[in-house]
Amino acid sequence: MIRRYIFLLISFWGLCSLYAQNKQLLYDFQEIPQSLMLNPGMKTPYSWHAGIPMLSGIAFQAGTSGLSVNDIFANDGLDINDKVRDRAINGLSIRDEISGVYQIEVLYGGFRGRNNPDNYFSFGIYNEGIGINYWPRDLAVLAFDGNADQLDRRFNLSHLKTRGELLNVFHFGWNRNWNRNLTVGARGKIYSGILNFHSSTNDGYFVTTPGVNNTLASTLISNMQLNTSGLQGIKDVLDDDSIDNVSGVSKIFTKRGFFGGDLGLGLDLGFTYQISSNTYIMGSVLDLGLLYHSGDIRNFTLDGGATIEGIELILPDALADPNADFWQDLVDEIEAFIPFEENNNNYVTFRPTKFYGAIRHNFGQGGPKGEWCDCDYSTNNRENNLNYKNSVGGQIYAINRPRGPQVAVTAFYQRRFGNAVALRGSYTVDKFSLTNIGLAASFQAGPVNFYIMGDNLLGYRNLAASHYASFQFGINIISWHVN
Amino acid sequence: MKLLSKLFLGALLALHLQGCSDEQDFNQIDDLNIIPTAEASLVFVEIPEDFINDSTDPGFYTQTFIFGAFQEQFFAENVLDGVISYEVENTTSKPLDVTIEFLDTGGNVLDTESFTIDAAPTAILQREITYGTPTGRDISIITNTASIRLTGINLGDNTSVSTLPEPVVLLRSSAKFRIRLK
Repeated sequence: MIRRYIFLLISFWGLCSLYAQNKQLLYDFQEIPQSLMLNPGMKTPYSWHAGIPMLSGIAFQAGTSGLSVNDIFANDGLDINDKVRDRAINGLSIRDEISGVYQIEVLYGGFRGRNNPDNYFSFGIYNEGIGINYWPRDLAVLAFDGNADQLDRRFNLSHLKTRGELLNVFHFGWNRNWNRNLTVGARGKIYSGILNFHSSTNDGYFVTTPGVNNTLASTLISNMQLNTSGLQGIKDVLDDDSIDNVSGVSKIFTKRGFFGGDLGLGLDLGFTYQISSNTYIMGSVLDLGLLYHSGDIRNFTLDGGATIEGIELILPDALADPNADFWQDLVDEIEAFIPFEENNNNYVTFRPTKFYGAIRHNFGQGGPKGEWCDCDYSTNNRENNLNYKNSVGGQIYAINRPRGPQVAVTAFYQRRFGNAVALRGSYTVDKFSLTNIGLAASFQAGPVNFYIMGDNLLGYRNLAASHYASFQFGINIISWHVN
Repeated sequence: MKLLSKLFLGALLALHLQGCSDEQDFNQIDDLNIIPTAEASLVFVEIPEDFINDSTDPGFYTQTFIFGAFQEQFFAENVLDGVISYEVENTTSKPLDVTIEFLDTGGNVLDTESFTIDAAPTAILQREITYGTPTGRDISIITNTASIRLTGINLGDNTSVSTLPEPVVLLRSSAKFRIRLK
């Protein structure tokens, strides 16, 4: 039984130990079709593309801010209790987090419109798991130190903010060369939620004050809730000895991941605008959407407030009932004022919306054939789009999080070697790292495209001390568009 | 160019696959102690002087009641040590003896604390009793306590009335215990 719960716990910790979601290396990397997923309005130099199922796009990202594995577990001779106290309990703020994401493309493809080659359509399915857990500072202090000798200190319950989900995303995108200068795109998404847990709107406090009658008064004002979807079914499987855990859980994942669970809708929008012969600006908004959680719901609430000063015996009233159970009366009173309740109410969660903005300048041999003009026709093919050696640019990225937007700024340089190889290096600053250097490579062998990219490479000098790491790779078949 | 691309890919893979790390000792987690100290009030008793005067028996008050806080499973299994603090305040016109006894589930007395306090005006009597430390009383007294018995004995007369407003005897108590979470 315990093993089953550990299995469940590790599964979710696995989700929670991954995150960041910024794919700055992939953004506007036109040689790689997956970049269309980050900007549906990207210039698309393909006639068609097809990802190798389950291998076309695999991405893992993990981030922690304020604390690394090395800070706690380095074999440095220091007492772990001192390290935890100094670096976690007293060192972390409520904005520090452990978070992560993984994404696996199940299916991905695209094709250019037969009647109108200015249109490019893409479609697919991907599986995504995300998790974020902010440091619950006051609750950690309460757990580590307790409330003794902390008169009048309010332990803030709103410090508990956590969220995680597992879902399949079915998408269809439309990309159009509006004119020679402007490319726009949109992608519709249907979310099929598999699992979700969500506790990010908590409020209240616990405080110990001098009592009115007795020495101390303990006050709890709580407005806390945890919403879950899809967890009870898994728990039931793990608790049932007659069902194989792996096949049972797989069956639930498959059913809920293919429209048998929570459903939602989302939208991506993007554009690319050519502001001069070799300079472009791009922007996109991803995952404007929500999920309606309506299946296998189990929510928990702790809502109310009470102040207690222990058992109070005020004579002669306390002797009125010789059978009075003062302790049970006190417990009942607390439970009445602050009921811990469970419900199955449906709930809505909003997707973590992401925003990208970028500028890019191409230089070196090449550039669009012919003179750039502000004219209506377009020649969006490989030769025109990718006929350059170098490009430099900058990006800004933001994602809405439970404690407000997180922002990252990136500068990149890209070098192309004919049509076979494109390499990109990037430097990114965000809350996880000020020294995030990434490298990406795209290789084209005939119709086969292989890409690989890694982030925060300086962190690999000491992985345990790194606050952030990401890794992406994939294989596609591409037919390049030729006018 | 092929050489460059091979070098690039090689470097990327090497960084990922052969990343370095300082030596880590995850067994340190076994040495981590999470021992918060929890503090809260226990029992408050208020006895007005007219209640004492109404009793012809010097033992004007005795009451036994269930006190389940110490027998809550999590607390009983994880408490290490702690202190119980008492305050006795007497604004009545008579000296008093107040006794608090901790009883187990069979009604057996595990621990007794008595307070003898002079008639008003007198200072508030304060006392701290330690449990679980080498010089303190046995922590099992706490973990086996299922109920509390309070007794009040009038050491004076039952006719005098204090000149202070609303004369009472008050017993305040609180507890501060260290509890091992890990």
